[in-house]
Amino acid sequence: MRLFLPCLLLLSMPIASTASAEGLKVVANTERNIQLSREQVRNLYMGATLGYGLKPVALPASNRHRSMFNTRVIGLAEARIQSYWAQMRFTGRLRPPTIRLPGRPSRRRRLSASLVSVARSPDCVVPNRLTMLYQAD
Amino acid sequence: MSTMTHRLRRLRQHLLLCSCLLLIAGFSASVHSEDDQGSHRPSDFGLAGFEWSGFARAVAGYLESDGSSFNGYRDNIRVNQQSLLALQPSYHVSDQLSLTGQFVAHSSDDRDSGTEWLYLNYQPSDAWQLRAGKLRMPFFSYSDSIDVGFSYPWITAPVQVYNNYLFSTFHGASASYRRAGLNYALDIEGYYGYFDGDIFAAGSRVDVDAEVKDLRGIVVKLRSHNIGLRLSYHQGENETDLPELQPLQQGLQQAGFNNLANDLDSKGTIRVSQAALSYDGLTSFYKAEWVKTRTEFSLTPEFTGYYFTAGLHIGSWTPHLTYASSSYGRVRSDTALQPVLADPQNPLFPIAAGYYQIFDAIPDGSMDSYTLGLRWDFQFNMAFKAELTWLNETAPRSGFIEPPSSGLFGEDFGNRKAEATLYQLGWEWIF
Repeated sequence: MRLFLPCLLLLSMPIASTASAEGLKVVANTERNIQLSREQVRNLYMGATLGYGLKPVALPASNRHRSMFNTRVIGLAEARIQSYWAQMRFTGRLRPPTIRLPGRPSRRRRLSASLVSVARSPDCVVPNRLTMLYQAD
Repeated sequence: MSTMTHRLRRLRQHLLLCSCLLLIAGFSASVHSEDDQGSHRPSDFGLAGFEWSGFARAVAGYLESDGSSFNGYRDNIRVNQQSLLALQPSYHVSDQLSLTGQFVAHSSDDRDSGTEWLYLNYQPSDAWQLRAGKLRMPFFSYSDSIDVGFSYPWITAPVQVYNNYLFSTFHGASASYRRAGLNYALDIEGYYGYFDGDIFAAGSRVDVDAEVKDLRGIVVKLRSHNIGLRLSYHQGENETDLPELQPLQQGLQQAGFNNLANDLDSKGTIRVSQAALSYDGLTSFYKAEWVKTRTEFSLTPEFTGYYFTAGLHIGSWTPHLTYASSSYGRVRSDTALQPVLADPQNPLFPIAAGYYQIFDAIPDGSMDSYTLGLRWDFQFNMAFKAELTWLNETAPRSGFIEPPSSGLFGEDFGNRKAEATLYQLGWEWIF
């Protein structure tokens, strides 16, 4: 299954209490040193293949951090993203990123639970075993 | 009597399929899924390898006109033209191999309910995707998701482009390759197959058993930042017989007018070219799409359609404006029988009259339309839409606005430029 693949990409959680100080980090549990541009992250989350075997994981549509990610990285409104994925799914072309519910990892997703907790650390430090792919201030 | 039996059979078929799909859709609504983009995955229900999703739409429309009809709408409120319910189950044999079906219950008599597609999907890598079976035709940007109203801003996608495609599915295979670079994402798709079934002209089903062989095409999509480009080319060999025209064809051949008889032969190559350019931003979007269809059939040699649309994203609201236009290439009849037409006593007069009557009745006009619409995404998987479309023929017989009791080869197209206003409300749901 895709979640057992070695590379799992996660949208990190912002840490500061004020919106102006909030930042976004995109990390992956890969040991490869990969740096992505904003456009590459956007492409990855819209279903494109970058060639690194990365599998995007997204937050639920109602999550405000996802809205920030949409605004600052994807550059599309949530409604447009949903309609895009409706088209991809029902034409059999692509599947949307796996959704991770904050704090409620399913049984199958427990492999990624530790990664989720990293994203919530107070100082947003990325642990050694993860690679930060992209950072938006 | 047989028509009544046929309608009852179709009604039973629709009701049965709708009931089954409603049961499953109801089950979907009652079960909480972790995936808020709709799909119910194996882990949700413990059915190893099986997942399913679906979509539905309910559309009501009213046409303000002088008694004409458009896209099945007349001057009374109708809800059975575009409403539908669909279920898409998938069975994953492995990470690379899956089987997907899509079963649609249409409310319209013009569309057959049942299996819309059924294909085997093989994905040897992230970049490659191979599919084989019954697939959707990827003519235009939204033609393969035209039933999924949630995937586009309108209730009715511009008819000048989307109601004029001949068929929506084909049997065959397709291969896709995707790649992204530093500043772009590229998607190339090629397919090959055949089509056998009902065809559509100006949105209405034509009562012939169509056959298109050697069907092939290529679709190239390029995206960079917020700008997207889609180019495609499609070609097929039409081998459809039009029984309605055969007696006249035979009469022309017997009278020695073989060239004129050939005018009524629909067989030959069909070529479809398409180009679309779009800008998708955080607060606004713009899109233009152009299509051109060329055939070797003298009655429908060329058709061009295009639209421009622009809209805003204001929170969960999306107001939008669209201008669309279409025109047929000049339909030319042979003048060889004109002298006969001037002499009603001539024994060939019925043949001449029949020949020119067909050319007089076939759509060869043009139409502009202006659409003002509003979409409200009140949930992540549901949207409400309202739309007003003003339709204006710029040349008579556009083929889209039909006077009462006319058909593809009807006699009552007339030479007037028709106009009408369509009001629609729609509800879209994906699950």
